[in-house]
Amino acid sequence: MIGLVDGNNFFVSCERVFNRRLVGRPVAVLSNNDGCCVSRSNEFKALGIPMGTPYFQLKAREASGELSFCSSNYELYGDMSRRIISILREEAVDVEQYSIDEAFIFPPTTAAADYLAYGRRLRDKILRWVGIPCGIGFAPTKTLAKIANHIGKKRPDGVFLMPDDPTEILAALPVQEVWGVGRRLPLKLRAERILTAQHLRDAPDDTIRSIGGVTLLRTAMELRGIPCHEERDYDADPDSISCSRSFGEPATTAEALAESLAAYTAQAAAKLRRHGLLAAGCNIYAQIFASGGGGDFLGRTVVFSAPTDATNEMLRAIREEVDALYIEGTRYRKTGIVFFGLEKPGTAHQTDLFDASPPAEKSRLYATVDALNARYGKGKVFSAAQGLGARSWHMKRQKLSRRPTTRWDELMTVR
Amino acid sequence: MSSKAKISGSVVAGFPSPAEQYLEPPLDLNELLVKRPAATYFVRVEGDSMVGAGIRDGDLLVVDRSLRPADGDVIIASVDGDFTVKTYRRDKDGVRLEPANPEYPVIPLRPGQELDYFGKVTACIHRFARKR
Repeated sequence: MIGLVDGNNFFVSCERVFNRRLVGRPVAVLSNNDGCCVSRSNEFKALGIPMGTPYFQLKAREASGELSFCSSNYELYGDMSRRIISILREEAVDVEQYSIDEAFIFPPTTAAADYLAYGRRLRDKILRWVGIPCGIGFAPTKTLAKIANHIGKKRPDGVFLMPDDPTEILAALPVQEVWGVGRRLPLKLRAERILTAQHLRDAPDDTIRSIGGVTLLRTAMELRGIPCHEERDYDADPDSISCSRSFGEPATTAEALAESLAAYTAQAAAKLRRHGLLAAGCNIYAQIFASGGGGDFLGRTVVFSAPTDATNEMLRAIREEVDALYIEGTRYRKTGIVFFGLEKPGTAHQTDLFDASPPAEKSRLYATVDALNARYGKGKVFSAAQGLGARSWHMKRQKLSRRPTTRWDELMTVR
Repeated sequence: MSSKAKISGSVVAGFPSPAEQYLEPPLDLNELLVKRPAATYFVRVEGDSMVGAGIRDGDLLVVDRSLRPADGDVIIASVDGDFTVKTYRRDKDGVRLEPANPEYPVIPLRPGQELDYFGKVTACIHRFARKR
Protein backbone atom coordinates (compact mmCIF):
# COMPACT_ATOMS: atom_id res chain seq x y z
CA MET A 1 0.00 0.00 0.00
CA ILE A 2 1.19 3.51 -0.84
CA GLY A 3 0.05 6.73 0.76
CA LEU A 4 0.19 10.22 -0.66
CA VAL A 5 0.36 13.01 1.91
CA ASP A 6 0.07 16.62 0.86
CA GLY A 7 -0.44 19.90 2.65
CA ASN A 8 -3.75 21.63 1.96
CA ASN A 9 -3.22 25.04 0.34
CA PHE A 10 0.30 24.55 1.67
CA PHE A 11 1.81 28.04 1.35
CA VAL A 12 -1.30 29.70 2.79
CA SER A 13 -1.41 27.15 5.61
CA CYS A 14 2.23 27.91 6.49
CA GLU A 15 1.46 31.64 6.67
CA ARG A 16 -1.53 30.98 8.91
CA VAL A 17 0.49 29.09 11.53
CA PHE A 18 2.26 32.34 12.41
CA ASN A 19 -0.37 34.87 11.42
CA ARG A 20 -3.69 33.98 13.00
CA ARG A 21 -5.39 37.03 11.49
CA LEU A 22 -5.33 35.19 8.17
CA VAL A 23 -7.46 32.33 9.54
CA GLY A 24 -10.94 32.20 8.03
CA ARG A 25 -10.11 34.94 5.52
CA PRO A 26 -9.73 34.86 1.74
CA VAL A 27 -5.93 34.92 1.40
CA ALA A 28 -3.52 34.01 -1.39
CA VAL A 29 0.25 33.63 -1.64
CA LEU A 30 1.83 35.30 -4.67
CA SER A 31 4.45 33.93 -7.06
CA ASN A 32 7.97 35.35 -7.50
CA ASN A 33 7.99 39.13 -7.78
CA ASP A 34 4.43 39.22 -6.45
CA GLY A 35 3.16 38.26 -9.88
CA CYS A 36 0.08 36.07 -9.49
CA CYS A 37 -1.80 33.80 -7.05
CA VAL A 38 -0.06 30.45 -6.55
CA SER A 39 -1.71 29.22 -3.35
CA ARG A 40 -5.24 30.10 -2.24
CA SER A 41 -7.20 29.57 0.95
CA ASN A 42 -10.59 27.84 0.70
CA GLU A 43 -12.27 31.19 1.35
CA PHE A 44 -10.34 32.69 -1.57
CA LYS A 45 -11.29 29.79 -3.85
CA ALA A 46 -14.92 30.19 -2.82
CA LEU A 47 -14.89 33.68 -4.35
CA GLY A 48 -14.19 32.05 -7.70
CA ILE A 49 -10.78 33.71 -8.23
CA PRO A 50 -8.74 31.20 -10.21
CA MET A 51 -5.18 30.07 -9.63
CA GLY A 52 -2.72 32.27 -11.54
CA THR A 53 -4.81 35.43 -11.40
CA PRO A 54 -2.41 38.42 -11.67
CA TYR A 55 -2.03 40.34 -8.43
CA PHE A 56 -2.51 43.78 -10.04
CA GLN A 57 -6.05 42.81 -11.01
CA LEU A 58 -6.89 42.21 -7.36
CA LYS A 59 -5.17 45.19 -5.73
CA ALA A 60 -8.39 47.19 -5.36
CA ARG A 61 -10.07 44.32 -3.53
CA GLU A 62 -7.05 44.11 -1.24
CA ALA A 63 -7.23 47.84 -0.49
CA SER A 64 -10.90 47.51 0.41
CA GLY A 65 -9.97 44.85 2.96
CA GLU A 66 -11.74 42.02 1.17
CA LEU A 67 -8.65 40.00 0.21
CA SER A 68 -5.25 39.40 1.84
CA PHE A 69 -1.97 38.56 0.10
CA CYS A 70 1.49 37.32 1.08
CA SER A 71 4.71 37.16 -0.94
CA SER A 72 6.27 33.72 -1.30
CA ASN A 73 8.23 33.01 1.89
CA TYR A 74 10.23 30.04 0.64
CA GLU A 75 12.45 30.04 3.73
CA LEU A 76 9.38 29.38 5.89
CA TYR A 77 7.72 26.89 3.54
CA GLY A 78 10.95 24.93 3.18
CA ASP A 79 11.34 24.62 6.95
CA MET A 80 7.72 23.58 7.49
CA SER A 81 8.08 21.00 4.73
CA ARG A 82 11.21 19.64 6.43
CA ARG A 83 9.28 19.25 9.69
CA ILE A 84 6.47 17.32 8.01
CA ILE A 85 8.91 15.02 6.21
CA SER A 86 10.72 14.25 9.46
CA ILE A 87 7.42 13.24 11.08
CA LEU A 88 6.59 11.03 8.08
CA ARG A 89 10.02 9.39 8.34
CA GLU A 90 9.24 8.50 11.94
CA GLU A 91 5.83 7.06 11.15
CA ALA A 92 6.40 5.31 7.81
CA VAL A 93 8.79 2.64 6.58
CA ASP A 94 9.90 4.81 3.67
CA VAL A 95 9.21 8.31 2.43
CA GLU A 96 9.70 9.72 -1.07
CA GLN A 97 9.37 13.46 -1.11
CA TYR A 98 7.79 14.48 -4.40
CA SER A 99 7.58 18.24 -4.03
CA ILE A 100 7.70 20.85 -1.29
CA ASP A 101 4.19 19.86 -0.13
CA GLU A 102 3.78 16.26 -1.32
CA ALA A 103 5.30 12.96 -0.30
CA PHE A 104 4.63 9.30 -0.96
CA ILE A 105 4.79 7.10 2.12
CA PHE A 106 5.06 3.36 2.58
CA PRO A 107 3.10 2.54 5.76
CA PRO A 108 4.39 -0.01 8.29
CA THR A 109 2.77 -3.45 8.28
CA THR A 110 1.08 -2.59 11.57
CA ALA A 111 -1.03 -0.03 9.68
CA ALA A 112 -2.50 -2.67 7.37
CA ALA A 113 -5.26 -3.60 9.82
CA ASP A 114 -6.77 -0.12 9.52
CA TYR A 115 -5.24 2.34 7.06
CA LEU A 116 -7.88 4.94 7.79
CA ALA A 117 -7.07 4.97 11.49
CA TYR A 118 -3.34 5.17 10.69
CA GLY A 119 -3.97 8.05 8.29
CA ARG A 120 -6.11 9.97 10.75
CA ARG A 121 -3.48 9.59 13.47
CA LEU A 122 -0.76 10.78 11.10
CA ARG A 123 -2.84 13.73 9.93
CA ASP A 124 -3.63 14.71 13.52
CA LYS A 125 0.05 14.53 14.48
CA ILE A 126 1.15 16.78 11.62
CA LEU A 127 -1.65 19.23 12.40
CA ARG A 128 -0.69 19.43 16.07
CA TRP A 129 3.10 19.38 15.71
CA VAL A 130 3.49 21.58 12.65
CA GLY A 131 0.10 23.24 12.29
CA ILE A 132 -0.51 22.23 8.67
CA PRO A 133 -3.70 20.38 7.65
CA CYS A 134 -2.96 17.54 5.23
CA GLY A 135 -4.89 15.27 2.90
CA ILE A 136 -3.89 11.60 2.82
CA GLY A 137 -4.88 8.97 0.26
CA PHE A 138 -4.05 5.26 0.33
CA ALA A 139 -4.06 2.92 -2.68
CA PRO A 140 -1.97 0.09 -4.15
CA THR A 141 -0.21 2.38 -6.67
CA LYS A 142 1.05 5.97 -6.76
CA THR A 143 -1.37 7.01 -9.50
CA LEU A 144 -4.34 5.64 -7.55
CA ALA A 145 -2.97 7.14 -4.31
CA LYS A 146 -3.00 10.57 -6.02
CA ILE A 147 -6.68 10.09 -6.80
CA ALA A 148 -7.43 8.84 -3.27
CA ASN A 149 -5.63 11.91 -1.90
CA HIS A 150 -7.86 14.29 -3.89
CA ILE A 151 -10.94 12.60 -2.47
CA GLY A 152 -9.50 12.55 1.05
CA LYS A 153 -8.78 16.26 0.97
CA LYS A 154 -12.47 17.01 0.52
CA ARG A 155 -13.55 14.85 3.45
CA PRO A 156 -13.78 16.27 6.97
CA ASP A 157 -11.20 13.81 8.33
CA GLY A 158 -8.86 14.38 5.36
CA VAL A 159 -8.21 10.67 4.75
CA PHE A 160 -9.40 8.26 2.06
CA LEU A 161 -8.67 4.61 1.30
CA MET A 162 -9.22 3.51 -2.30
CA PRO A 163 -11.77 0.65 -2.32
CA ASP A 164 -10.68 -2.71 -3.72
CA ASP A 165 -12.77 -2.03 -6.80
CA PRO A 166 -12.29 1.65 -7.71
CA THR A 167 -14.35 1.45 -10.95
CA GLU A 168 -17.03 3.84 -9.75
CA ILE A 169 -14.47 6.47 -8.77
CA LEU A 170 -12.48 6.12 -12.00
CA ALA A 171 -15.65 6.38 -14.08
CA ALA A 172 -16.36 9.79 -12.54
CA LEU A 173 -12.83 11.13 -13.11
CA PRO A 174 -12.01 12.98 -16.37
CA VAL A 175 -8.95 11.36 -17.91
CA GLN A 176 -6.94 14.61 -18.03
CA GLU A 177 -7.06 14.75 -14.23
CA VAL A 178 -5.12 11.51 -13.91
CA TRP A 179 -1.53 12.02 -12.78
CA GLY A 180 0.84 11.63 -15.73
CA VAL A 181 -1.70 12.32 -18.47
CA GLY A 182 -0.32 15.42 -20.14
CA ARG A 183 -2.27 18.41 -21.29
CA ARG A 184 -1.77 17.57 -24.96
CA LEU A 185 -2.95 13.99 -24.76
CA PRO A 186 -6.69 14.47 -24.09
CA LEU A 187 -7.32 15.42 -27.75
CA LYS A 188 -5.85 12.16 -28.98
CA LEU A 189 -7.57 10.30 -26.17
CA ARG A 190 -10.93 11.81 -27.06
CA ALA A 191 -10.49 10.61 -30.62
CA GLU A 192 -10.31 7.10 -29.19
CA ARG A 193 -13.27 7.79 -26.90
CA ILE A 194 -11.10 7.61 -23.80
CA LEU A 195 -12.71 10.28 -21.64
CA THR A 196 -12.47 8.98 -18.09
CA ALA A 197 -9.88 7.27 -15.95
CA GLN A 198 -11.96 4.11 -16.25
CA HIS A 199 -11.80 4.26 -20.07
CA LEU A 200 -8.03 4.57 -19.90
CA ARG A 201 -7.73 1.70 -17.46
CA ASP A 202 -9.83 -0.60 -19.65
CA ALA A 203 -8.49 0.41 -23.08
CA PRO A 204 -6.41 -2.13 -25.04
CA ASP A 205 -2.66 -1.83 -24.43
CA ASP A 206 -1.93 -1.28 -28.15
CA THR A 207 -4.31 1.66 -28.33
CA ILE A 208 -2.79 3.23 -25.23
CA ARG A 209 0.75 2.74 -26.49
CA SER A 210 -0.06 4.28 -29.87
CA ILE A 211 -1.44 7.39 -28.15
CA GLY A 212 1.05 8.03 -25.39
CA GLY A 213 3.77 5.43 -25.65
CA VAL A 214 5.05 3.36 -22.79
CA THR A 215 4.59 6.25 -20.33
CA LEU A 216 0.82 6.29 -20.80
CA LEU A 217 0.69 2.51 -20.69
CA ARG A 218 2.44 2.67 -17.34
CA THR A 219 -0.24 5.09 -16.10
CA ALA A 220 -2.96 2.69 -17.29
CA MET A 221 -1.25 -0.22 -15.49
CA GLU A 222 -1.14 1.88 -12.33
CA LEU A 223 -4.89 2.50 -12.66
CA ARG A 224 -5.29 -1.30 -12.86
CA GLY A 225 -3.56 -1.52 -9.50
CA ILE A 226 -0.18 -2.71 -10.76
CA PRO A 227 2.68 -0.53 -9.44
CA CYS A 228 4.75 0.70 -12.41
CA HIS A 229 6.36 3.85 -11.11
CA GLU A 230 9.81 2.85 -10.04
CA GLU A 231 10.77 4.16 -6.65
CA ARG A 232 12.55 7.28 -7.62
CA ASP A 233 15.28 8.65 -5.49
CA TYR A 234 14.37 12.31 -5.65
CA ASP A 235 17.53 13.20 -3.75
CA ALA A 236 19.74 11.59 -6.38
CA ASP A 237 22.24 13.62 -8.38
CA PRO A 238 20.41 16.07 -10.58
CA ASP A 239 20.88 16.03 -14.35
CA SER A 240 21.39 19.75 -14.44
CA ILE A 241 21.80 22.53 -11.92
CA SER A 242 20.58 26.00 -12.61
CA CYS A 243 19.54 29.24 -11.01
CA SER A 244 17.55 32.06 -12.55
CA ARG A 245 15.14 34.71 -11.44
CA SER A 246 13.12 37.59 -12.80
CA PHE A 247 14.06 41.10 -11.78
CA GLY A 248 11.73 42.97 -9.45
CA GLU A 249 11.63 45.75 -12.04
CA PRO A 250 13.02 45.49 -15.58
CA ALA A 251 16.80 46.02 -15.32
CA THR A 252 18.61 48.51 -17.51
CA THR A 253 22.19 48.64 -16.23
CA ALA A 254 25.24 46.52 -16.93
CA GLU A 255 25.77 46.31 -13.14
CA ALA A 256 22.37 44.72 -12.52
CA LEU A 257 23.08 42.14 -15.19
CA ALA A 258 26.57 41.35 -13.90
CA GLU A 259 25.65 41.31 -10.21
CA SER A 260 22.55 39.18 -10.63
CA LEU A 261 24.43 36.65 -12.74
CA ALA A 262 27.25 36.56 -10.19
CA ALA A 263 24.73 35.92 -7.41
CA TYR A 264 22.96 33.12 -9.30
CA THR A 265 26.32 31.60 -10.21
CA ALA A 266 27.28 31.61 -6.52
CA GLN A 267 23.97 30.02 -5.56
CA ALA A 268 24.11 27.36 -8.25
CA ALA A 269 27.76 26.63 -7.43
CA ALA A 270 26.87 26.08 -3.77
CA LYS A 271 24.23 23.60 -4.89
CA LEU A 272 26.82 21.90 -7.08
CA ARG A 273 29.11 21.51 -4.07
CA ARG A 274 26.25 20.16 -1.94
CA HIS A 275 25.85 17.38 -4.47
CA GLY A 276 29.62 16.88 -4.64
CA LEU A 277 29.69 17.64 -8.36
CA LEU A 278 31.87 19.61 -10.76
CA ALA A 279 30.60 21.43 -13.85
CA ALA A 280 32.43 21.49 -17.16
CA GLY A 281 30.82 24.74 -18.19
CA CYS A 282 27.69 26.82 -18.17
CA ASN A 283 25.19 28.70 -20.25
CA ILE A 284 24.44 32.18 -19.05
CA TYR A 285 21.50 34.04 -20.43
CA ALA A 286 19.47 37.21 -20.18
CA GLN A 287 15.91 37.68 -21.32
CA ILE A 288 14.87 41.01 -22.83
CA PHE A 289 11.79 42.58 -21.31
CA ALA A 290 8.74 42.69 -23.56
CA SER A 291 5.59 44.31 -22.25
CA GLY A 292 3.27 41.55 -23.40
CA GLY A 293 5.40 38.84 -21.75
CA GLY A 294 7.92 36.66 -23.52
CA GLY A 295 10.98 38.48 -24.83
CA ASP A 296 14.08 37.29 -26.64
CA PHE A 297 16.87 35.43 -24.92
CA LEU A 298 20.52 36.36 -25.25
CA GLY A 299 22.86 33.58 -24.29
CA ARG A 300 26.52 32.73 -24.01
CA THR A 301 28.20 29.42 -23.45
CA VAL A 302 31.27 29.30 -21.28
CA VAL A 303 33.48 26.26 -20.87
CA PHE A 304 35.69 26.32 -17.80
CA SER A 305 39.40 25.59 -18.21
CA ALA A 306 38.78 22.47 -16.12
CA PRO A 307 35.60 21.13 -14.45
CA THR A 308 35.14 23.09 -11.25
CA ASP A 309 32.86 23.84 -8.34
CA ALA A 310 34.71 27.00 -7.26
CA THR A 311 32.61 30.15 -7.50
CA ASN A 312 35.58 32.47 -8.05
CA GLU A 313 36.86 30.49 -11.04
CA MET A 314 33.41 30.54 -12.57
CA LEU A 315 33.00 34.25 -12.03
CA ARG A 316 36.35 34.88 -13.68
CA ALA A 317 35.35 32.69 -16.62
CA ILE A 318 31.96 34.31 -17.24
CA ARG A 319 32.99 37.95 -16.70
CA GLU A 320 33.66 38.89 -20.31
CA GLU A 321 30.69 36.94 -21.57
CA VAL A 322 28.40 38.76 -19.18
CA ASP A 323 29.52 42.07 -20.64
CA ALA A 324 28.64 40.71 -24.07
CA LEU A 325 25.03 40.18 -22.98
CA TYR A 326 24.57 43.85 -22.23
CA ILE A 327 23.16 46.16 -24.85
CA GLU A 328 22.80 49.75 -23.82
CA GLY A 329 19.23 51.01 -23.71
CA THR A 330 17.75 47.53 -23.40
CA ARG A 331 15.44 46.51 -20.57
CA TYR A 332 15.95 43.00 -19.20
CA ARG A 333 13.37 40.71 -17.60
CA LYS A 334 15.58 38.03 -16.11
CA THR A 335 19.00 36.42 -16.05
CA GLY A 336 20.09 32.91 -15.29
CA ILE A 337 22.77 30.26 -15.40
CA VAL A 338 22.60 26.56 -16.24
CA PHE A 339 25.56 24.28 -15.61
CA PHE A 340 26.31 21.43 -17.94
CA GLY A 341 28.72 18.54 -18.03
CA LEU A 342 28.20 17.56 -14.40
CA GLU A 343 30.57 14.96 -13.02
CA LYS A 344 31.96 13.60 -9.80
CA PRO A 345 35.48 14.76 -8.93
CA GLY A 346 38.15 12.21 -9.74
CA THR A 347 36.60 11.41 -13.10
CA ALA A 348 39.45 11.52 -15.56
CA HIS A 349 39.88 14.81 -17.37
CA GLN A 350 42.74 16.84 -18.66
CA THR A 351 44.06 19.27 -16.11
CA ASP A 352 44.99 22.82 -16.86
CA LEU A 353 48.74 23.19 -17.03
CA PHE A 354 48.53 26.78 -15.94
CA ASP A 355 46.22 26.35 -12.98
CA ALA A 356 48.36 27.57 -10.12
CA SER A 357 46.31 26.74 -7.04
CA PRO A 358 46.22 23.13 -5.94
CA PRO A 359 42.68 21.66 -5.90
CA ALA A 360 42.80 20.90 -2.19
CA GLU A 361 43.22 24.58 -1.41
CA LYS A 362 40.24 25.58 -3.53
CA SER A 363 37.97 23.01 -1.95
CA ARG A 364 39.09 24.19 1.49
CA LEU A 365 38.19 27.76 0.59
CA TYR A 366 34.67 26.90 -0.51
CA ALA A 367 34.10 24.32 2.21
CA THR A 368 34.75 27.22 4.58
CA VAL A 369 32.51 29.64 2.66
CA ASP A 370 29.66 27.08 2.62
CA ALA A 371 30.10 26.33 6.31
CA LEU A 372 30.05 30.03 7.21
CA ASN A 373 26.93 30.62 5.14
CA ALA A 374 25.24 27.59 6.65
CA ARG A 375 26.02 28.86 10.12
CA TYR A 376 25.51 32.60 9.84
CA GLY A 377 22.86 32.72 7.13
CA LYS A 378 22.75 32.44 3.38
CA GLY A 379 24.82 35.06 1.60
CA LYS A 380 26.87 36.25 4.59
CA VAL A 381 30.10 35.47 2.74
CA PHE A 382 29.92 36.31 -0.93
CA SER A 383 31.98 37.42 -3.90
CA ALA A 384 32.29 41.15 -4.44
CA ALA A 385 31.14 40.59 -8.03
CA GLN A 386 27.64 40.04 -6.61
CA GLY A 387 27.61 43.73 -5.75
CA LEU A 388 27.80 45.62 -2.48
CA GLY A 389 25.11 48.21 -3.20
CA ALA A 390 21.36 48.23 -2.96
CA ARG A 391 20.87 45.27 -5.30
CA SER A 392 17.95 46.83 -7.09
CA TRP A 393 17.66 43.66 -9.17
CA HIS A 394 16.56 41.55 -6.20
CA MET A 395 13.32 39.67 -6.34
CA LYS A 396 10.36 41.79 -5.32
CA ARG A 397 8.69 40.43 -2.19
CA GLN A 398 6.87 43.42 -0.79
CA LYS A 399 4.43 41.45 1.30
CA LEU A 400 6.96 39.04 2.77
CA SER A 401 6.11 37.68 6.21
CA ARG A 402 8.79 36.98 8.79
CA ARG A 403 10.98 33.89 8.62
CA PRO A 404 10.37 32.80 12.21
CA THR A 405 11.88 29.31 11.95
CA THR A 406 15.14 30.12 10.18
CA ARG A 407 16.19 33.62 11.30
CA TRP A 408 16.97 34.58 14.88
CA ASP A 409 16.13 38.22 14.17
CA GLU A 410 12.71 37.41 12.72
CA LEU A 411 11.24 35.29 15.53
CA MET A 412 7.55 35.39 16.30
CA THR A 413 6.91 37.69 19.28
CA VAL A 414 4.56 36.98 22.19
CA ARG A 415 3.23 39.45 24.74
CA MET B 1 20.02 16.05 16.43
CA SER B 2 21.36 14.57 13.28
CA SER B 3 24.88 15.95 13.15
CA LYS B 4 26.56 14.32 16.08
CA ALA B 5 30.31 14.09 15.92
CA LYS B 6 31.78 10.63 15.97
CA ILE B 7 34.70 10.46 18.30
CA SER B 8 37.18 7.67 18.05
CA GLY B 9 40.72 7.55 19.26
CA SER B 10 43.45 6.82 16.81
CA VAL B 11 46.80 5.77 18.04
CA VAL B 12 49.71 5.72 15.67
CA ALA B 13 52.34 4.54 18.09
CA GLY B 14 52.86 4.22 21.80
CA PHE B 15 50.34 3.28 24.45
CA PRO B 16 46.59 3.58 23.90
CA SER B 17 45.04 6.52 25.68
CA PRO B 18 43.53 5.38 28.98
CA ALA B 19 40.71 7.90 28.40
CA GLU B 20 39.70 6.47 25.04
CA GLN B 21 37.00 4.15 26.25
CA TYR B 22 35.48 6.96 28.32
CA LEU B 23 35.19 9.46 25.48
CA GLU B 24 31.68 10.79 24.95
CA PRO B 25 30.18 13.46 22.73
CA PRO B 26 30.15 16.91 24.35
CA LEU B 27 26.99 18.20 25.99
CA ASP B 28 24.57 19.69 23.52
CA LEU B 29 21.97 22.24 24.60
CA ASN B 30 19.70 21.16 21.75
CA GLU B 31 19.55 17.69 23.23
CA LEU B 32 18.49 19.16 26.57
CA LEU B 33 15.99 21.75 25.36
CA VAL B 34 14.60 20.40 22.11
CA LYS B 35 13.06 16.96 22.57
CA ARG B 36 11.06 17.00 19.33
CA PRO B 37 12.70 19.24 16.69
CA ALA B 38 9.76 18.85 14.27
CA ALA B 39 7.38 20.32 16.86
CA THR B 40 9.66 22.91 18.46
CA TYR B 41 9.57 26.63 17.77
CA PHE B 42 11.43 29.57 19.30
CA VAL B 43 9.61 32.79 20.11
CA ARG B 44 10.67 36.13 21.57
CA VAL B 45 8.98 37.73 24.62
CA GLU B 46 7.84 41.34 24.43
CA GLY B 47 6.71 43.01 27.64
CA ASP B 48 6.50 41.98 31.28
CA SER B 49 3.09 40.27 31.64
CA MET B 50 4.78 37.07 32.85
CA VAL B 51 7.58 38.58 34.90
CA GLY B 52 6.34 36.82 38.06
CA ALA B 53 6.93 33.48 36.35
CA GLY B 54 10.51 34.44 35.54
CA ILE B 55 9.76 35.36 31.94
CA ARG B 56 11.14 38.78 31.11
CA ASP B 57 11.07 41.21 28.22
CA GLY B 58 13.43 39.98 25.48
CA ASP B 59 13.66 36.39 26.71
CA LEU B 60 13.67 33.50 24.28
CA LEU B 61 11.06 30.79 24.83
CA VAL B 62 11.26 27.19 23.65
CA VAL B 63 7.79 26.06 22.60
CA ASP B 64 6.69 22.48 21.97
CA ARG B 65 3.51 22.24 19.90
CA SER B 66 3.17 18.48 20.43
CA LEU B 67 2.23 18.83 24.10
CA ARG B 68 -1.40 19.35 25.07
CA PRO B 69 -1.99 22.04 27.69
CA ALA B 70 -2.74 21.10 31.30
CA ASP B 71 -3.86 23.34 34.17
CA GLY B 72 -0.88 25.40 35.36
CA ASP B 73 1.20 25.11 32.17
CA VAL B 74 2.76 28.19 30.63
CA ILE B 75 1.50 28.26 27.06
CA ILE B 76 1.45 30.33 23.87
CA ALA B 77 -1.99 31.06 22.44
CA SER B 78 -3.49 33.53 20.05
CA VAL B 79 -6.02 36.01 21.42
CA ASP B 80 -7.81 38.18 18.85
CA GLY B 81 -5.05 37.47 16.34
CA ASP B 82 -2.08 38.29 18.61
CA PHE B 83 0.15 35.72 20.27
CA THR B 84 0.42 35.83 24.03
CA VAL B 85 2.29 33.89 26.70
CA LYS B 86 0.21 33.13 29.81
CA THR B 87 -0.50 30.45 32.40
CA TYR B 88 -3.25 28.11 31.27
CA ARG B 89 -6.00 27.59 33.87
CA ARG B 90 -8.73 25.05 33.58
CA ASP B 91 -11.01 24.34 36.54
CA LYS B 92 -14.64 24.54 37.66
CA ASP B 93 -14.75 28.20 36.59
CA GLY B 94 -13.81 27.27 33.04
CA VAL B 95 -10.73 28.04 30.96
CA ARG B 96 -8.70 31.24 31.27
CA LEU B 97 -5.27 32.67 30.59
CA GLU B 98 -3.54 34.13 33.61
CA PRO B 99 -0.72 36.67 33.54
CA ALA B 100 2.03 36.57 36.18
CA ASN B 101 1.89 40.30 36.82
CA PRO B 102 -0.93 42.01 38.79
CA GLU B 103 -0.96 44.91 36.34
CA TYR B 104 -2.37 42.71 33.58
CA PRO B 105 -5.92 41.33 33.37
CA VAL B 106 -6.90 37.66 33.36
CA ILE B 107 -8.21 36.63 29.94
CA PRO B 108 -11.31 34.44 30.34
CA LEU B 109 -12.58 32.20 27.56
CA ARG B 110 -16.24 32.73 26.77
CA PRO B 111 -18.34 29.56 26.96
CA GLY B 112 -18.16 27.85 23.59
CA GLN B 113 -15.07 29.83 22.56
CA GLU B 114 -12.23 27.55 21.60
CA LEU B 115 -8.70 28.28 22.75
CA ASP B 116 -6.42 29.07 19.78
CA TYR B 117 -3.53 27.12 21.26
CA PHE B 118 -0.04 27.32 19.72
CA GLY B 119 2.14 25.31 22.07
CA LYS B 120 3.51 24.72 25.52
CA VAL B 121 6.52 26.67 26.79
CA THR B 122 9.14 24.16 27.91
CA ALA B 123 12.04 26.51 28.63
CA CYS B 124 12.90 30.17 29.00
CA ILE B 125 16.32 31.38 27.94
CA HIS B 126 17.38 34.60 29.59
CA ARG B 127 20.60 36.21 28.43
CA PHE B 128 22.34 38.70 30.68
CA ALA B 129 24.22 40.61 28.01
CA ARG B 130 21.85 40.34 25.15
CA LYS B 131 21.59 42.39 22.06
CA ARG B 132 18.16 43.00 20.74
